[in-house]
Amino acid sequence: MNAEAKVPVTILTGFLGSGKTTLLNKILSEEHGKRIAVIENEFGEVGIDQALVIEADEEIFEMSNGCICCTVRGDLIRVLGNLMKRRDKFDYVLVETTGLADPGPVAQTFFMDDEIREEFALDGIVTLVDAGHINQQLGRSDESEEQVAFADVLVLNKTDLVDDATLDDLEARLREMNRMARVVRCEQAEVPVDTVLNLSAFNLEEALERRPTFLEPEYPFEWTGVYQLSPGRYQLDLAEGPDPAMSLVVRPGQVLDDAGLREGAEWCVRRYAEPTCSVDVGGVVKAGEHACLELSSAGRKSFFFDVAAEDTVGLFTQHTAEEFDLKLRGPDGEEVPPSAERTWVAQHEHDDEVGSIAIERDGDVDPEKLNRWLGKLLQERGVDIFRTKGIISIAGDPMRMVFQGVHMLLDAQPDRPWGDDPRRNQLVLIGRNLDEQAIREGFDACLL
Amino acid sequence: MTEGKVTGVLQSDWSAAIQDYPMASCWTHDGGALVVCDSAGGVYAFDSQQGELLWSEQSAHEGGALAMSMHPRETLFATAGQDGKILIWDLSEARPRCCIEIGSGWVENLLWSPDGAQLASSHGREIQIFAADGTEQWRSDEHLSTVSALGWLNSKELVSTCYGRVTIFDSGTGGSDQRFEWKGSLVSLALSPDGDVIACGSQDNSVHFWRRSTGEDSMMSGYPGKPTALAFDSTGTLLATGGGDAVTVWSFEGNGPEGTYPGSLELHERAVSALSFAPDGLTLASGGRDGLVFVWSLQSDGQGRPEGAAMLESVLAEVCWRPDGKALAALDGEGIVTVWTVS
Repeated sequence: MNAEAKVPVTILTGFLGSGKTTLLNKILSEEHGKRIAVIENEFGEVGIDQALVIEADEEIFEMSNGCICCTVRGDLIRVLGNLMKRRDKFDYVLVETTGLADPGPVAQTFFMDDEIREEFALDGIVTLVDAGHINQQLGRSDESEEQVAFADVLVLNKTDLVDDATLDDLEARLREMNRMARVVRCEQAEVPVDTVLNLSAFNLEEALERRPTFLEPEYPFEWTGVYQLSPGRYQLDLAEGPDPAMSLVVRPGQVLDDAGLREGAEWCVRRYAEPTCSVDVGGVVKAGEHACLELSSAGRKSFFFDVAAEDTVGLFTQHTAEEFDLKLRGPDGEEVPPSAERTWVAQHEHDDEVGSIAIERDGDVDPEKLNRWLGKLLQERGVDIFRTKGIISIAGDPMRMVFQGVHMLLDAQPDRPWGDDPRRNQLVLIGRNLDEQAIREGFDACLL
Repeated sequence: MTEGKVTGVLQSDWSAAIQDYPMASCWTHDGGALVVCDSAGGVYAFDSQQGELLWSEQSAHEGGALAMSMHPRETLFATAGQDGKILIWDLSEARPRCCIEIGSGWVENLLWSPDGAQLASSHGREIQIFAADGTEQWRSDEHLSTVSALGWLNSKELVSTCYGRVTIFDSGTGGSDQRFEWKGSLVSLALSPDGDVIACGSQDNSVHFWRRSTGEDSMMSGYPGKPTALAFDSTGTLLATGGGDAVTVWSFEGNGPEGTYPGSLELHERAVSALSFAPDGLTLASGGRDGLVFVWSLQSDGQGRPEGAAMLESVLAEVCWRPDGKALAALDGEGIVTVWTVS
């Protein structure tokens, strides 16, 4: 049986009140042409008639071998085992867990049970987060942290309940905990369906084809301001700040909403990767270039950029506007306030127990050393390591090795030839109380 | 082997189609008819001789049927489904004579007692016992998890399995006086005819069994997959088990099966999905995910040889001997019912 024939399964997790049922109903109403089966552990009101809704209690089954990582969900085995018998197969299965569910056993079911694995493919884990309450929940409950840690997509819902600064801070906190997940902001679970379905998040080959990395970018800029501007020459007015220089990209055609800001951010990440063009005081910044403003002289300083036609312009700055008291002035000298702002990096550190470790290293790895190190790490710490993904350059092997894991279950396979790409290792672990330094040193010891 | 081909002791008799995946099948006690229910919720009754469709009810259980049991002496049978209902039918009436509504959720197990006086069912974590006319007699407390199987040790004692536990109930009072605990998910159940051995297939690729008389238990591990198909022969000598491409047969002769090697019947190319012993003697029918059916002649040590074979279109959902042992019904995943006479 080939992978294409498998029925994709998406898991929706999130605390009670985070909006799972709302999202579920939205998916069902938009995907009405498809045959979707819903397995509900939290008996909400699914208001769509054509979907087959099956209610089942969560039942966690441990195995007699005593390994506490080897837990599966008995209710899913039972229900999915029955669904796969029908001749009119389903196009998609959605599993809505209870607010207190541990996503580990749910995910492991799709790897541990042969019959389920043959017919179904776990597509992704979507975790809904209630922007108004998640900060308190994260401190209090392991389940809440685990749901964030396991997610492929974090839907930051109910953004209308908190102000923008809180939202930015919250997003930074979530990204710190889970660097693999995409974050999407919304009100009333209004997200495009294609951001939560058909992700192939557990099929690395396919996922990497769509996005070359499974690490969400760490933005090299801290702040974005979006301005609605008429044609003319604009002045960037800055005070002295903590650094003698600051990078900046001016992006024309910037869209104001969350999706637009993210798209702009990804575009600017690539601009930031280019060499800088130094701009002296009084100089002009060109749109789209990675400019470096020279700020070493004393007092307030001005730089300029030109707007040819009516436009919405984004400024992506290396530091926050506050740090340099950045102001934008129009051709008439009047200050222009931003129409939207976004802070990309946390203002203060959270000491969450759950966090991500991302390792990126050039060169080749000794496969035996890697096996020994990773095997030992997962054996000893598998309970606390929720998800793992990696692209590895094995010495002497022309193919990239990719792997992904849930707790102690690890699935590794050759991906595609390296070709002309630089041979580079990328490894991400998400877990609880992980010793980052030891893990980094452990991986480095596997390098040749 | 090519599709449709039959060899050895099996001789083509008749075949018929039902709408969807067969969920359960059984012959009437006199062997006069074969009744089948499917995952689309239909119930079908076929004449035993020519395979003529006596009657069918296409939408007896909304969402699909899950279980069926034939009364041991009368032409009554019961079906249950995802609609949370149990229907009691009389073969001659072509419609249910009684409908029991248990509640929302699946009714997954259903079994008449050997004397036909009671009907046991399970719904989620509960079991319910009814008189033959459908009157509820008692229901159990909640089990630790969803009840995975039911079996009657005799007409007075009922066995249930769930994750972590086997429970024996007094079918008259509903009291439970014996239970066996074991950390594992029990997915299938077979009882020796004398009611002493309770055998269970487990999610972690093993077969576990308990002897009631001594309280001893044993675990048979090393299966490559989940043993979802289990069958005892009518003398209680052999326990045939699936859990891989081979049929593994444990012999309870002498001090066995502990410390003995099982018989291994290796002709299936994919996992064994259905097993059934003929009513008399050590003749076993096996069906696999490969669409193959074999009839085996076994020795009391569990070794055996194939006597007949047939190939169907897809995975075998059920193999089911007629009570006289002279015909075998097989139901595949495409909804094809095939009956052979066995010489």
